[in-house]
Amino acid sequence: MSEVIVITSGKGGVGKTTTTANVGTGLAQLDKKVVLIDTDIGLRNLDVVMGLENRIVYNLVDVVEGNCRMKQALIKDKRYPNLSLLPSAQTRDKSAVSPEQMIKLIEELREEFDYILLDCPAGIEQGFKNAIAGADRALVVTTPEVSAIRDADRIIGLLGANEVKRTELIVNRLRMDMVKRGDMMNINDVTDILAIDLIGAVPDDEQIVISTNQGEPLVGSDCLAGKAFANICHRILGEEVPFLDLEIKSSVWGKLKEIFKKN
Amino acid sequence: MSKPVVLKSNRYGINLILDDSMEFESLLDCIRERFKDSEGFFKNAKMAISFEGRKLTQEEEFRIVETITDHTSINIICILDNDALREELIRQKIERFEDEQAGKTGEFYKGTLRSGQVLDCETSIVILGDINPGAKVISKGNIVVLGALKGNAYAGANGNEQAFVAALDMDPIQIKIGDVMGRSADKVTGKKRLKKQKVVSEPQVAIVKDGNIYIEPITKGLLNNI
Repeated sequence: MSEVIVITSGKGGVGKTTTTANVGTGLAQLDKKVVLIDTDIGLRNLDVVMGLENRIVYNLVDVVEGNCRMKQALIKDKRYPNLSLLPSAQTRDKSAVSPEQMIKLIEELREEFDYILLDCPAGIEQGFKNAIAGADRALVVTTPEVSAIRDADRIIGLLGANEVKRTELIVNRLRMDMVKRGDMMNINDVTDILAIDLIGAVPDDEQIVISTNQGEPLVGSDCLAGKAFANICHRILGEEVPFLDLEIKSSVWGKLKEIFKKN
Repeated sequence: MSKPVVLKSNRYGINLILDDSMEFESLLDCIRERFKDSEGFFKNAKMAISFEGRKLTQEEEFRIVETITDHTSINIICILDNDALREELIRQKIERFEDEQAGKTGEFYKGTLRSGQVLDCETSIVILGDINPGAKVISKGNIVVLGALKGNAYAGANGNEQAFVAALDMDPIQIKIGDVMGRSADKVTGKKRLKKQKVVSEPQVAIVKDGNIYIEPITKGLLNNI
């Protein structure tokens, strides 16, 4: 039984594409057959983050318009034989595809893959409607900022109105040092407002920037963000995984400073 | 000179717009002429009739109807009242009834209202969930939120300033009761902001007093007054 998951956020720049790339790669590492679909027509970049840009021949719009077969457009990731990417078109815009066409396309892919991940564009217009049309489940990505949370709230409402059955939350780019100082909302503050299940919390990590620039997802690597994404993959499969301890271990000097601060 | 008799059809039949200055007898002649002209059009029609533009006595109304039925095959079923004053009275009565109902009856809504969602209610409303920033609740009666009110609430939407808004966690962006509007205090800027929001919340109620919105903790004394 395959599952269609849309990764969305409303606000741009919170890490939808990075999350899609890492969760998709992570699921492929767990021996699941995965296809990633970039629905951000006109502003494609999932292929860049995956490091597969140079292999694009056909794209999503070509498949929908019947210019090629599905097989021809799917790009197999050489690093993970289970992982494929359906890139988006760069020279068209969102109106090139309709929700009905997306549903049909997804039905075709369901036969072959265990997980179909849709990277949703920012906003709530046509592109968003296309992306959520065929989805069974949604991962809403937000950062602990009021603007991102406000947009996520709107998105959760829209997902409910469009009968996406399951909606879960990923809090991205947490900075524990700022949370500790009280300058950033913590995970509980975010889940209190949005009132949906949390499926992962990803710390802000320099390694993410490096990995996206290199086109090499870091899921499963030793850094905190890599572990966090790997945990999200396990939770998607239904496993119970405790949340990472993101607390910063303070040095002796730091602890001393804290004691003095308290007094 | 404008026509002394104008025929206008409406949902139920025709509306006669009559000249106010003319002698009644000559007006009757005009009516007869007017209906004769359109005899073919109204043939055997059954309709209600109403008058406009001239104050008629009961006898005069009766004579007009007689004139029409005598000279045409139109079947007039009834005379409709077209009194603007009476209409206004009826409208007020209905609205007052609706207002009373709005305060007395209520509905439930279960779930969180999220940004962009609007809940519009003819009666009072009890919400089992939160109202998030960017969401809006409009009610002609009262609003009770069993959760956090962090968005906009508009109680007494038909202008009733006796309405109230109650919430377990009162942190609204804007509250409007009747025609009185209140907005949240401007946020404290600077470093302490996030920490400051950690105040323990208690159930509060917003009411209108002297043309201003007051938000107060729910106490027995206060509840007796609203």
